[in-house]
Amino acid sequence: MAAEPEPVALPAPQRRLAPMLAHSGLVTGAVILVLLALVALLAPWLAPNSPDKTDLMRAFAAPSWAFPLGTDQFGRCLLSRLIWGARVSLEVAVAVVALSLSIGTVLGALAGYLGGVVERVFTGLNDVLLAFPGFLLALAIVAARGSSLESVVLAVSIAYVPRVAVVMRAVVLTIKPRAFIEASHAIGMSDLRILLRHVIPNAFPPVIVVATVSAATAILAEAGLSFLGLGVQPPTATWGNIIADGQTSIVEHPFISIAAGLCIAVTVIALNLLGDGLRDTLDPQMRRQTGLKAL
Amino acid sequence: MNAVPDAGTPLLKVSNLVKTFGQGNALLSRGRSVRAVDGVSFSLNAGETLGLVGETGSGKSTLGRLVLKLLEPSSGTIEFAGTDITALKGRQARALRARMQMVFQDPYGSLDPRMTIRDLIREPMVVQGCGGDEITARVEATMRQVGIDPRLGSRYPHEFSGGQRQRIGIARALVLDPKLLILDEPVSALDVSIQAQILNLLREIQRRTGIAYLFIAHDLAVVRHVSHRVAVMYLGRIAEMAPGRLLYDSPRHPYTKSLLSAVPVPDPVKERAKQRIVLHGEIGSAASMPTGCSFHPRCFRARLVAGQPGVPVESCGGAILPSACIHAVPAIATPHGEQVVACHFAHFSDAVEAPRRLERLPETA
Amino acid sequence: MSTKPYALEIRRLRTVFPGPTGPLSIVDDVTLGVRPGEMLAVVGESGSGKSMTFLSALGLVSAPGRVESGQVLVGGRDLVKLSAAELQAIRGQSISMIFQDPLSGLNPVFTVGQQITEVLRAHRRTGRAEARREAIRLLERVQIPDAHRRLDDYPHQFSGGMRQRVLTAMAIAHSPQVLIADEPTTALDVTVQAQVLELLDTLRREAGMAIVLITHDMGIVARHADRVAVMYAGRVVEEGAVTDVFAQPRHPYTLSLLRSIPQLDAPVGAELMAIRGQPPLPGTVRQGCPFEARCYLGAGRPACREGRPELAPAAGPAHLSACHFAETLHVQEAIA
Repeated sequence: MAAEPEPVALPAPQRRLAPMLAHSGLVTGAVILVLLALVALLAPWLAPNSPDKTDLMRAFAAPSWAFPLGTDQFGRCLLSRLIWGARVSLEVAVAVVALSLSIGTVLGALAGYLGGVVERVFTGLNDVLLAFPGFLLALAIVAARGSSLESVVLAVSIAYVPRVAVVMRAVVLTIKPRAFIEASHAIGMSDLRILLRHVIPNAFPPVIVVATVSAATAILAEAGLSFLGLGVQPPTATWGNIIADGQTSIVEHPFISIAAGLCIAVTVIALNLLGDGLRDTLDPQMRRQTGLKAL
Repeated sequence: MNAVPDAGTPLLKVSNLVKTFGQGNALLSRGRSVRAVDGVSFSLNAGETLGLVGETGSGKSTLGRLVLKLLEPSSGTIEFAGTDITALKGRQARALRARMQMVFQDPYGSLDPRMTIRDLIREPMVVQGCGGDEITARVEATMRQVGIDPRLGSRYPHEFSGGQRQRIGIARALVLDPKLLILDEPVSALDVSIQAQILNLLREIQRRTGIAYLFIAHDLAVVRHVSHRVAVMYLGRIAEMAPGRLLYDSPRHPYTKSLLSAVPVPDPVKERAKQRIVLHGEIGSAASMPTGCSFHPRCFRARLVAGQPGVPVESCGGAILPSACIHAVPAIATPHGEQVVACHFAHFSDAVEAPRRLERLPETA
Repeated sequence: MSTKPYALEIRRLRTVFPGPTGPLSIVDDVTLGVRPGEMLAVVGESGSGKSMTFLSALGLVSAPGRVESGQVLVGGRDLVKLSAAELQAIRGQSISMIFQDPLSGLNPVFTVGQQITEVLRAHRRTGRAEARREAIRLLERVQIPDAHRRLDDYPHQFSGGMRQRVLTAMAIAHSPQVLIADEPTTALDVTVQAQVLELLDTLRREAGMAIVLITHDMGIVARHADRVAVMYAGRVVEEGAVTDVFAQPRHPYTLSLLRSIPQLDAPVGAELMAIRGQPPLPGTVRQGCPFEARCYLGAGRPACREGRPELAPAAGPAHLSACHFAETLHVQEAIA
C-alpha cells in the first residue's frame, strides 16, 4: 500500500496547562486571586468579628488578638470589614465580567463577521459610547438610578461592553480570512454555525485578556464610586467605603485607608499579572509549535 | 438533483464561466474591474483527473472556487452530474457538499487549531446530518485510508507535521464520499519527499474509489504526474488543453512551450543542452488585460508569424505583431473536446525546428 | 577541479538552540566551501539547517540561538570571532545575502532609489549625487529597464521578479566576493524564476562572484549550479560536482530524493518512489546516522544505528558522502 500509517515520532500530547504553569506572572496572579476568592467565600467563618458591630469605647484600638488589625473610628473590626469588603469587590468583578463579556462578544462577533451595514452601524454606535470616559458614564448611570451595588455593576458593565465589543470585532476580522474558515464553508456549514463553532472559540484568547482588565477596572470603579458616596451605601463594608471612612482621620490613623488601598492594589496587580500571563501563553502557543518546525 | 446521469454525461461541465471582481466597488478597483476568469469551458468525466496549471493571475484558484460554489460566477454555467448548479444558493448549494469537496493548499491554516482531528474529520458528516454510528465507522475508515492511525484522533493539528496535516485535510474531504475533489495546490507547501507520499496517496485513492480530481497547481511536473488531461491557463483563459502526454511531448500553444522550457528538470546533462525560450516582459496584471489574445505582448510565435509574407501586421508596444493577435480573441472550436488550443496560428511551425533562442529584451508588458 | 582558494569557507560550524532537554544542534558540524566564480547549491528540506547555516555564518542568528563552535573564513578573517561592529562592516561589503520574499525585503514607505543609496552610503563615503548615479548603474546592471525613472518608484510599483532584482542590486552594491541567495525564486513564477537565476549566472561570470544558492528545487540545481551540497538534519550528507552527484548519487537520501521528484520526461503514470516517514525534528537524533530510520539501505542496520558516518570522499576526492555504504550505491538501485 502506498500510504502506510505514519510512525508516531511525536512528543507526548502537548497539554495546554504546561506552559501556563511555567509562567511565573500568571501563577502569581492566579494564586493571589484564588486566595482572594477563598477569603470572600469563607467570609462568614474567617472574619473574627461582625463587620458592622460598633463599639465606640474601642474606637481606634491598636491591633490585638480580638481585633487583629485594630478598629476604625466606630470601633468596628478592620480586618473583618476588609474580609467582607472582598466579597463585594468579587461580586462586582464577576458580575461586570459576565455581563460585559456576554453582550460585548456577541455584538462584536456579529459586526466583524457580517460586515457591511451591520458593521458600520455597530461601529458608529460603539464609537459614541467609547467616546465617554468610563467613569463619567458610570456616574451618570448611578445618578439616574440611585446608589447601590446593582447600579455600580450596571454602570461599569455598560461602560465596558463597547470596549469588549471592539476588541472582539478586531479579532474576528483576523480570523475570518483564515483558511480553515474557508474550509468550513467548503464542507457546507451555514454562517451561523461557522460563527459559533469556529470563529468565536478562536477569538477567545484576546477577549479573556480584556476580561481580566475589565474586572480590575470594575473593582477600581466600585472603590471610586463608594469613596464618593455614590456606590454601595454605608454601613456595608466595601474597600471604597473603608477608604472613605478613614479619610477623616488620615493623619493620625493612616493605616485604615492604607490597608483598604493595599487590598485594592494587590487585587488589581494580580488581575493584571493574570491577564498578561494568559496573553503570553494562550495565543503564541500555536506559533511556538509551528515555529520550531519552521527551522 | 439526484437523477442518475447517463453514461455519456460528463461529471462536471463548465461552459463560458466568467468571474469579475471589483465591479461597483469604487474603493477597491478605482473603477476598473478584474476578470479573474474570462470565459472558461471544459468537461471532466467520472474517475478522471484534470490538471489545471498556471502562474499568478491565471485564475486557476478562482476557477476551483467557482466550481465548488464558494464564489458566485458572474456569468456562464456549471453542470454537475447533468444538473445545472449555477444558480443554486444557500441550503441547496450547501447540500452539494456531500458530492464535491475541496482540499486546500495550506496544511497549517486550513484546520481549526482548537478542534481535535477526529472532530475535524467528523464535522462534514455532522453538518450534513448523518447518524452517530455511521459517523464513527466512516471516520475511522477514512483515517486509515489516508494513513493516519485512528488512535491519534484526540490530538490537535499542531501536533502533526505538514504532510500529516495535509492527510487530515484529505480525510476531511473524503469522509462524505464525494464524486469530485477539487485540490488547490495540495502539495506546494510540503517538502519534496513528502509531496511524493501525498501524490501516491491521491492516486491510490482514485484507483480504489473512482473519484474525479480537479488538480490545481503551478508545478508542471507534479500536475503531469497525476493528471489524465492538463489545461494550461493564462490570465483567466485556457490557452491549451490536451491529454497529459500529448501536452508535454508536443505542446501547440506558445505559452505552453515557454512554460515547459522554463521549468528546470533535475538532470544537468539535459538541462544544459536545452534550448531556452525567453519570454518578453512579465505577466501583465489581470486588471489591465491586453486586447485580443491576452498572450500577444509576450508571444514569440506572434513575432515569428509577423515576419511571414501575407500576414496583416501592426505595430504594438514596440514590436510588430499580427493584427489578428492584437484584436481578436482566439476562438476554440470544440471547448468540451479532448484537445483545445487557443491560438490563431496553432499549426504554425515555430522557427521551423526547435524553438530558437531569441533576443532578450525584458520590456515590461 | 579548481584549486583557487575558497571565497567563503565554513569549517565545523555548530549552531545550537536551547531545548526542553538540552541544547539542540540546528547546524551540526557543517563544513562547506565555495570558490570565486563558482555557484554552490545547498539543498535540503525542512529542518535540514541549510538556511540557518548561512544565517549563522553572517552572525544573523537571533537569541536564544547561538553559534557554539566552528569557523567561517572570508578573506582570511574568521567571522565567528569578530565583534558585532566588525561583522556589520563586512555584511554588505564582502559578503551579502538575499532572501526568499522580495516583498518583505523592501521597505514599502521608501522609494527604491532611497533604499539603494542607503546601502551605498552605509559602507562608503559617497555624496548624494554620486550615490544616485551609482544606484542607476546598479539597476541597469540587474537589467531593470528605464532605470533612471524607476529609481523614484516605490516597491509596490514593481512586480515580484523586479523586486527580487532590486534586492539583488542592493546586495551587490559593494561588489561582495560572496553572495548568498536563500530561496530567491521560491515566491516567483517559473518564467520569472528563469530570468532571476540567469541574472545570478551573469554576475558570477562577469564579476567572478562566488554564489551560494540555497534551494529545495533540484531542477534549479541541475541547471545553474556547479557544485551541490545536500543537507539533512543539520549535517551535510553529500557534496560534489553537480554532474557527478546527479549521475551517481553517493548517499541514499540524495538518491531517494531524486527518485521522489516527478519528472517532466518520465513515463506518465510511473509510481513515485516516496521516502517513508518524515524529516526528524532538530536535535532529536543522538547517535548513528540521522537518515537511518527512513533509509532503504540502512534502516535497522547496526552500523547505521550506532555509528555516525563522517563526510568522506566516496568517488574521487571532490565527491564526498556521509554514508557507511557510499561506495556500494548504484544508480539503478530499486527503493523498498
